[in-house]
Amino acid sequence: MKKIDLSHLDDLALGSVFLATGGGGDPHVPQLITEQAIKAYGPISLIAPEALDDDAFIVPIGNVGAPTVSLELLPSVDEAAKTIDAFEAHVGRKVDAVASFEIGGGNSLIPLVAAAVKGIPVVDGDGMGRALPEAQMMSYAIAGVRPTPALALDYAGNQATFQTKTTEVYERHIRSFAMAAGGMITTAEHAMSGAELKRSVIPGTLSFSIELGRTLRENRGQAEGLLKPLQDIFVPSIYGECRLVFQGKVIDKATRIVGGYDVGEATIDRFDGSGEPLKISIKNEYLLATIGDKVIASVPDLIVIVDYETGTPINAERLRYGHRVAVFAVGCPEFYRTPEALRVVEPRCFGFDIDYVPLEKL
Amino acid sequence: MRIGIDVGGTHTDAVILNGDDVIAATKALTSADVISGVTAALDEVLKQSGVSVSSIRTVMIGTTQFTNAIIERRELSRAAVIRIGLPSGRGMPPMVDWPQDMIDAIDAEVYMLHGGYLYNGWPVADMRDDEVNAAVSDIQRKGIKNVSIASAFSPMNNTPETQVAEKVRAAIPDARITLSHSFGRLGLMERENAAIMNTTLLPFADRVVTSFLGALAQRGLTCPAFISQNDGTLMNADFVRAYPALTFASGPTNSLRGAYKLTGLENAIVVDIGGTTSDIGVIQNGFPRESNVIVNVGGIRTNFRMPDILAIGLGGGSLVSSDGRIIGPQSVGHKLVTEGLVFGGRTLTTTDILVASGHSDIGDKARVAHLAPEVVTQATATMHTMLNDNIEMMKPGGKDMPVILVGGGAVLVTDGLNAASKLHRPENAGVANAIGAAIAQVGGESERMLSYRQTPRAEAIASVTRAATDRAIKAGADRATIRAVDIEETAVPYMDEGATRVRVKVIGELAQ
Repeated sequence: MKKIDLSHLDDLALGSVFLATGGGGDPHVPQLITEQAIKAYGPISLIAPEALDDDAFIVPIGNVGAPTVSLELLPSVDEAAKTIDAFEAHVGRKVDAVASFEIGGGNSLIPLVAAAVKGIPVVDGDGMGRALPEAQMMSYAIAGVRPTPALALDYAGNQATFQTKTTEVYERHIRSFAMAAGGMITTAEHAMSGAELKRSVIPGTLSFSIELGRTLRENRGQAEGLLKPLQDIFVPSIYGECRLVFQGKVIDKATRIVGGYDVGEATIDRFDGSGEPLKISIKNEYLLATIGDKVIASVPDLIVIVDYETGTPINAERLRYGHRVAVFAVGCPEFYRTPEALRVVEPRCFGFDIDYVPLEKL
Repeated sequence: MRIGIDVGGTHTDAVILNGDDVIAATKALTSADVISGVTAALDEVLKQSGVSVSSIRTVMIGTTQFTNAIIERRELSRAAVIRIGLPSGRGMPPMVDWPQDMIDAIDAEVYMLHGGYLYNGWPVADMRDDEVNAAVSDIQRKGIKNVSIASAFSPMNNTPETQVAEKVRAAIPDARITLSHSFGRLGLMERENAAIMNTTLLPFADRVVTSFLGALAQRGLTCPAFISQNDGTLMNADFVRAYPALTFASGPTNSLRGAYKLTGLENAIVVDIGGTTSDIGVIQNGFPRESNVIVNVGGIRTNFRMPDILAIGLGGGSLVSSDGRIIGPQSVGHKLVTEGLVFGGRTLTTTDILVASGHSDIGDKARVAHLAPEVVTQATATMHTMLNDNIEMMKPGGKDMPVILVGGGAVLVTDGLNAASKLHRPENAGVANAIGAAIAQVGGESERMLSYRQTPRAEAIASVTRAATDRAIKAGADRATIRAVDIEETAVPYMDEGATRVRVKVIGELAQ
């Protein structure tokens, strides 16, 4: 079994921001928490999905709420483990391993904190292979894993349990609790057996994110130089295609809240001002890239904006007028191209009236 | 008339401005005691201009003393650090991600207390009197005088910070206290970092401001004195005794503002070419364009707004490869005068290329006579390409923009710059920083998280603008000239519809 120690965290956090495709929040604070947990409890065991017993009991854990709130309401080192403790008490069963909701952003790190404190392994994989805004978009839910029984804990240890009929209803209820509890909660949900996890997880993404972060770090510099090293790791992976689709300056970025999400658009001009600009549609994540009427890439494929000079990925909440950026597009894992998955993550689910065309066919 | 002074690590520059005209300018060495360097520079400009001290209306000072103190870990005082936010953030104490040498340098005592507020106005937890009293007595017992206080969501509700400050002051009347909400923006850790760094600089700030004012008094300058801050606006000198951290980025800011003043161009790219780097910045409406990314000061994350500067390794001392195709980022720096070829050294630098190309006659031209003309041509082309490409990246919207060259290395640009719609080489470019200080305005900034459901948008923006205006007036601005220069609204995702972070920056002319 592989171990995750302090030396992996910078790369994991950097890789996770890339895979977050603009969403997922800044992993700086979750990373600090993970560092504190590893310092206190030692390295974390990483278990491959296929190494789990079919009857093992696994629960995904992560934060739900507004990234902005976590800037002020700092998480605690023991919060994730307490959530697992409370969940175990609620369902009357010990958890054998924890898993991640989404590899994109801070939620890639929360399971590590729980695993470190509890002394249990974390699954090498996640429920999205990227970041997406809603619970029913998780591969666990798409593969038929039920969200409840679920349990949420706030910063003060207040606890709520959920038993809902559908994932959509669960999503609505958990958001209400997050708001009532001050804007940020930790939840354990979509508990499943090892057998269920094996057919619903996006495998290997935790170790892939570390590898991706290392690639970004070692090839730090202008975006053109990044393309080859990125292709070298994406092409043979579950992701596949990787393209550098645009380079230029952000000349406009406007978002507003619609239905509890940050919705809007960014416009990027080429450095020399030539040709039509690239437009990126945002709903927490970067979801659609177009030039004029032409689609350059769309959800569920990954659209990533990086700082032109350093190749550092930029979150949507930090993207601003004047930023000099490069835009990469990366294919999504095959799981998200199945009819069952596309039913909940195709462009129309986000209000874009287009059919999904895989990146490599655009 | 006004005097602008720039107290840097190496040089202390001074200028006298009569309206828009520079009537005297000088460069002196910065002295160890600061004060004698300032008086020397003052004497020189007063002598040059023949102006009597009574006709000087204001003195503006820009300084990198406080930035340097943080970076070099010197002049820092012991601090007590109070955070009010439990039960959130357990196991995530203040300074958790600081470099160890900085933690050692300030030798802080940390106190984590219950309290603070949530975004929606509910308390995180009730404050506990016994907890607060125990912390205050411990600080008192340990004899610590410099205290920073930060609480969760204090930009929205600062009561916890002010209440604890009152208790500290009651117990320790001569305590110097920094409250994190003075540094505005959301982001508890970054705001707290700013407050701690500020606190640890307070005794030094007191000494520096006293020397500045002492130097002015010695020369009979009784007019008001101001110090320039990060965003190119001014604070009155006594304000700096309380907020030295607000000067952290004033160096590059003054250089950009000075370039603006020297040319009158409200929108331009400024290239400041020194010995080791070319710093490229952008002037928008007369002020520096600010950076988007989290800025580190001395290895510590802060929430300060800093100018967006692109530094490239091209300066007067940059190393040139033998074929002229690669320049920098290594530089001989201040050793240029011994290591450059034209000065009898053995290193091929950009200055040698300049002399070999016949554009300058410093040093001994014979020592570069052996350089092949094609190498000189290639190296000259490489320098210009580097500048053009990087200026291109800084230009907003691909629009044509003029470029202002300042700094000692500006002579390297011999062939014009394609990236510039027009190239400006202002007179007195060497003292751009002091000029930037001399023309600083007074600003104020405020930021709050509000719900547009509870507070209509217009009313919300007006209340944040009022808070920013109050800050500007407190910092010395004339109320009648204050205008909002930046209003930023950030919706908070996943939350109640209408939850929005509103930030307003105002500036105004200095009150006479």
